[in-house]
Amino acid sequence: MAMESNPTADAQSTATSTLDTTATAASNATTIAGGRNDPIITVRNLQTSFFTDKEVIRAVDGVDFDIRPGETVGVVGESGSGKSVTARSIMGLVDSPGHILEGSSIRFQHVPTLRSFATTFAGRTVSLDELEAEHDPTSLFDHPEIDATPSTFGYDDREEATLEDFVGAYGDTLEFIGADDCVFVRGGSTDDPESITDGFVELTRCTGEIQRKMRGGRIAMVFQDPLTSLNPVYTVGNQLEETLRLHQDLSGQAATEEAIELLEAVGIPDARRRVTEYPHQFSGGMRQRAVIAMALACDPEVLICDEPTTALDVTIQAQILDLLKELQHERDLGILFITHDMGVIAEVTDRVNVMYAGEIVETAGVHSLFDDPKHPYTQGLLESIPGRQQGERLQTIEGNVPTPNEPATYCRFAPRCPKAFGDCEAVHPETVPVGDGHPEDEQAAHTAACLLYVDEYTAAAHPSGRTPDQGTGEVKATGGSADAATETETETPRGDDR
Amino acid sequence: MSRWRYFFRRLLLSIPVVLFGLTITFVIVRMGPIDPVAAIIGPEGGAANRARIEQRLGLNEPLWRQYIDFIVGMLTLNLGQSWVIQPSTSVGELLTTYAPRTLWLGFWSVLIAIFVGVPLGFYAGLNPNTGGDYLASFGGIVWRAMPNFWLAIIFLAVLRQSEKFFFGIDWNTIGVNVPGLIGQPPLNFIAVTDWVSLGALSIPIGFYFSPITLAASIKQILPPAVVLGSAAMGNEMRIGRTAVLETINSNYVETAKAKGLRNRAIVWKHVFRNALVPLVPIITNEAFILIGGSVIVEVIFGINGIGYLFYQASIQGDLPLVGSLMFVFIILIVSVNIIQDFLYTILDPRVGYE
Repeated sequence: MAMESNPTADAQSTATSTLDTTATAASNATTIAGGRNDPIITVRNLQTSFFTDKEVIRAVDGVDFDIRPGETVGVVGESGSGKSVTARSIMGLVDSPGHILEGSSIRFQHVPTLRSFATTFAGRTVSLDELEAEHDPTSLFDHPEIDATPSTFGYDDREEATLEDFVGAYGDTLEFIGADDCVFVRGGSTDDPESITDGFVELTRCTGEIQRKMRGGRIAMVFQDPLTSLNPVYTVGNQLEETLRLHQDLSGQAATEEAIELLEAVGIPDARRRVTEYPHQFSGGMRQRAVIAMALACDPEVLICDEPTTALDVTIQAQILDLLKELQHERDLGILFITHDMGVIAEVTDRVNVMYAGEIVETAGVHSLFDDPKHPYTQGLLESIPGRQQGERLQTIEGNVPTPNEPATYCRFAPRCPKAFGDCEAVHPETVPVGDGHPEDEQAAHTAACLLYVDEYTAAAHPSGRTPDQGTGEVKATGGSADAATETETETPRGDDR
Repeated sequence: MSRWRYFFRRLLLSIPVVLFGLTITFVIVRMGPIDPVAAIIGPEGGAANRARIEQRLGLNEPLWRQYIDFIVGMLTLNLGQSWVIQPSTSVGELLTTYAPRTLWLGFWSVLIAIFVGVPLGFYAGLNPNTGGDYLASFGGIVWRAMPNFWLAIIFLAVLRQSEKFFFGIDWNTIGVNVPGLIGQPPLNFIAVTDWVSLGALSIPIGFYFSPITLAASIKQILPPAVVLGSAAMGNEMRIGRTAVLETINSNYVETAKAKGLRNRAIVWKHVFRNALVPLVPIITNEAFILIGGSVIVEVIFGINGIGYLFYQASIQGDLPLVGSLMFVFIILIVSVNIIQDFLYTILDPRVGYE
């Protein structure tokens, strides 16, 4: 962990990159990927919409986040905020009438996977080095069918854009990308897979065999309800062996042995007998353990947990969370943890994304989020936890999550927001840095999408110059003042050019 | 294993069911308004004649003795003799003549229903809200809605003039020749010609088999079988569609997808077996209806099967025949029930716990 060794450099580099989280990914292009801090999954501008006869529901509307190996990223929000659809988009499990829109990009960056795929799926592999020799990424902004601006990728200047930004998101439009291409590599080629040093699998473009290889093999998922996640008519062992046969070429006795080991690894006693039992003979907690064992059967790099403990009682919940932590430690798993339970978030995650109506409204390290929530929605969520409220009555957020069925030209939280002011109804807030992270957080970036932290609007709304919630003030206090100020200034025009 | 214990318990429980069914049959047959003596001697018989016949048939004995004789006779498979329909012919003999025709008809109508209805339903469920689904679903409803007696007559009318409706193709002569639309299917396509004795066991070693007779037999039985199976086919289609839709949206199918399983593997392994669970009682229940419903179809298509025999026996007061046929029906229904439980124990490991 190079960044951790030098706290000052860490703070500064964070401050300079908070505005533009993509810069990390971009700079990785020149170095060898696979380091501790390189994200294994990069989600950029993910938009998943459901096309019904009546309306288009933008269930996920422009979401960005990263998952790093060994890190747990939380996604929290009310029902209907788009958490599960985000997870399903990563897995490629969005069913019709849902579609991931063009411009969305989910990159899986894992060099061993790329090396293996470059051989197996040579026909679907593209060398970015070769493409770069022929195509200038900057000129792609002028492509008639690409509506991207530098700010789409989080850049200020079009010179910053790289080919990576385009090939995944706009692969269908770009004529030099084949219809099936979804493995993009650097450093090597299909003839020489060992020398591949970087690149990504574009998950939004994965179909057929390659998608099946990703699912389960590289990214596994644990679903909400363990009671119905296992097929009732097959033994637990049968279902585990099915996965092993699929991704690890194990069969017969070897698969059974491996299945028993997996059940032992997730803490199921008497695994040798249990492996021949049916799901209905397992208790709820045991079933969730079995589901986790199944997810881990193929040694995935990333585990997506979609509310894995919601259906379990509190003691079992604690056991499952401990188990996940242990497994993450052993296997260096990147975990995306989806829940609406703030207590669980505090327990397991390193970094938290707060989702509201299809958008991420605040991202912070878990300590920053709980100690110093910036977005009024996050504040509302935290106040509604029993025991944290001030006064007798538990605070609630009035109203419901709206259905996001039109492009956001305003803050979707404004109708429920206690701090809303005039501009909130007219301007869609961009994500801005709102302060340095808590010292205990590894990934220090703390951003929120709220006009309260954009000087231009707060000045207009509060002529006295009072900044609500001391948001920007704190940025200055913790030392990143110059950077933060310039960022905030460069940030404002971005709101206009949308 | 516990689910096998469950199955054997079900097997034992069927014994009181058979006894109860026989008792009810006896009560209805002997204590009802049917007067077999009047049916035998006709309107002109005198009182002396009447007493003589009652004496001969054993109808003057106390009811409890008649009841015990009836139950013992049935359980020892001593089915008695016909009184009215074919006097002095044993019921066993009548059954061997009439039953194969009904079984042949029932077999084909169940088969057609299963092999057309279930695949169509599964297809519709796997492709919901497509043109194919709408066609299959609509067809299923229409097919289900057409009553047997009407459909049977329409079939006869259309096939009799088939050259007019099917561009000159004559039903009677296409493929194998059949004598006509109406009549018994020839069932003598298979026979045992030679036996060898091993101690008490007789093992058939010589067979006679005629594929042409078999083909003619199938062709003869096809129209009534389609008519008889039509309602079942529509039902199975609709239930199959619902079952597949329900299964395909279940969480374990989602889990299977997330594992990276191929679509084909998901459908064959995870969807079909679960979708069959609700279909089993539908299919077996229809087997009951085929016994009862066959009377109409047998009469229209001129097949002298047990449905026809039972109808004749009950209106003519042939008490032993009615009682024995009821016994056969009870045994059939209980066996179908046991088969259903057996299929359940195979398909669904949870059976026996809930």
